[in-house]
Amino acid sequence: MSRLGAGVLARMLLRSFAVQGSWNYQTLIGTGLAFVLAPALKQVYEGDGEALRRSLGRHTELFNSHPYLAAVAAGAIARLEADGSPPEMVTRFKHAVRGSLGTLGDRLVWLMWRPMSVLLGVSLVLAGAAWWVGALAFLLVFNALHLWMRAWGLKIGLRDGLQIGRTLKGVPFPRMGDRAAQAGALLAGFAAALAAAGRGSHPWEWGAALLAALLGISLGPRVRGAAALAMALALVAGLVLART
Amino acid sequence: MILTAAQVVAVTLIGGLVALDATSVGQFMISRPFVAAALGGLVVGRPAQGIVAGVVLEALHLAVLPVGAAKYPEGGPPALAAGAVYAANFPPVAEAATLLVAVLVALALEMVGGRSVEAMRHWNVRFAGAPPEGLAPGPLARRHLAPVAVDFARGAVLTLAGTLLLCWLLRAIDFSGFPEVAIGSILRLAVVAGLASALRLFGRGHWPLFVAGAAAGVVVAWLG
Repeated sequence: MSRLGAGVLARMLLRSFAVQGSWNYQTLIGTGLAFVLAPALKQVYEGDGEALRRSLGRHTELFNSHPYLAAVAAGAIARLEADGSPPEMVTRFKHAVRGSLGTLGDRLVWLMWRPMSVLLGVSLVLAGAAWWVGALAFLLVFNALHLWMRAWGLKIGLRDGLQIGRTLKGVPFPRMGDRAAQAGALLAGFAAALAAAGRGSHPWEWGAALLAALLGISLGPRVRGAAALAMALALVAGLVLART
Repeated sequence: MILTAAQVVAVTLIGGLVALDATSVGQFMISRPFVAAALGGLVVGRPAQGIVAGVVLEALHLAVLPVGAAKYPEGGPPALAAGAVYAANFPPVAEAATLLVAVLVALALEMVGGRSVEAMRHWNVRFAGAPPEGLAPGPLARRHLAPVAVDFARGAVLTLAGTLLLCWLLRAIDFSGFPEVAIGSILRLAVVAGLASALRLFGRGHWPLFVAGAAAGVVVAWLG
């Protein structure tokens, strides 16, 4: 294990929440990764300011990852630096992990977990729960995974260093994603039915709601534009009707 | 003015924080339209009304994915403004029509917000691009935190613009005679379509679960 103290790890974890602060089209989250690594590197290169400057400069190079799993990379890089690994090896390691850390996190968090958690909160509100129950349910469920991923990522990164790829293969992210997708599909149907049955709905609206749901499923993300167009036309029609 | 000056200032500052939450700092998801609109309502003392606007905007934001360097609409600050103004205006002369205007303004602002994020990321190259030979911890922190301050300011300006625009529109439009029932139905159908579109994220192969959920929803609605 590394020589890094608990205070250093706590500062790295805290800084990991801002890893995307300087997101840019040249180095993506490279500067953010160096910002997260800075407390560890300050300890590793204590008393050698020039080596610290060179190391921090190196780590601002292009890097990308899912933000929650950036902690895995930060932990592993801190471990490599603490073990005195050559800079070329650290750079090769960063190139090797950045793709998989992005794909793993994007699929589990953005594609499955977040929509599922949002649908849980929305379903509760549509079912008549107080606004804060829905909002809190969403935030708690979503952030349970979020906070775990950051803390766990930093811990296993530091523990496993170069071997992190093997560790990540054993983590049941795909299975967690599948379960979230199942729960999400159930909640999407539940919420859609509750929205269709809102206050003042007419019998014909059930048929229209079924068509709307089928349209939504077939359009996917493009439903946003179609809905915006329909609502804009409704506003124009309303303005015309209100004047006649 | 529908909101007091203090409420406008509060909404503007929270708008900056909500913008940060989306990408730069935290990502606790208070920037989701569903939560941000409730926060907007909370500022004016009516969070339950704020979240009504949030549910509509959330349904239409569900399938937006911030993957890699993708360009996407920004949901938080517009939803905050819409939630605050819609809730402050409650009970309106025409509930559905007011909600419709709030949602349409928020959707337009989401596109403006997305473009401003893109512009900021190009601009951030000045601060955080081109890796230097060496960098001390102090200058590194400045390189990293300057874009965070810019993002906060961007979100605050976007929220302020949305709030003022919506306040002006709701005062300018004469809602008397609006077909409320029809507009309410269209809003509801837009929410249904948006929520159903999430099945595409989870995989259309899960349609039996979607149908089971819908059946459960119908039962709950019928019992309620």
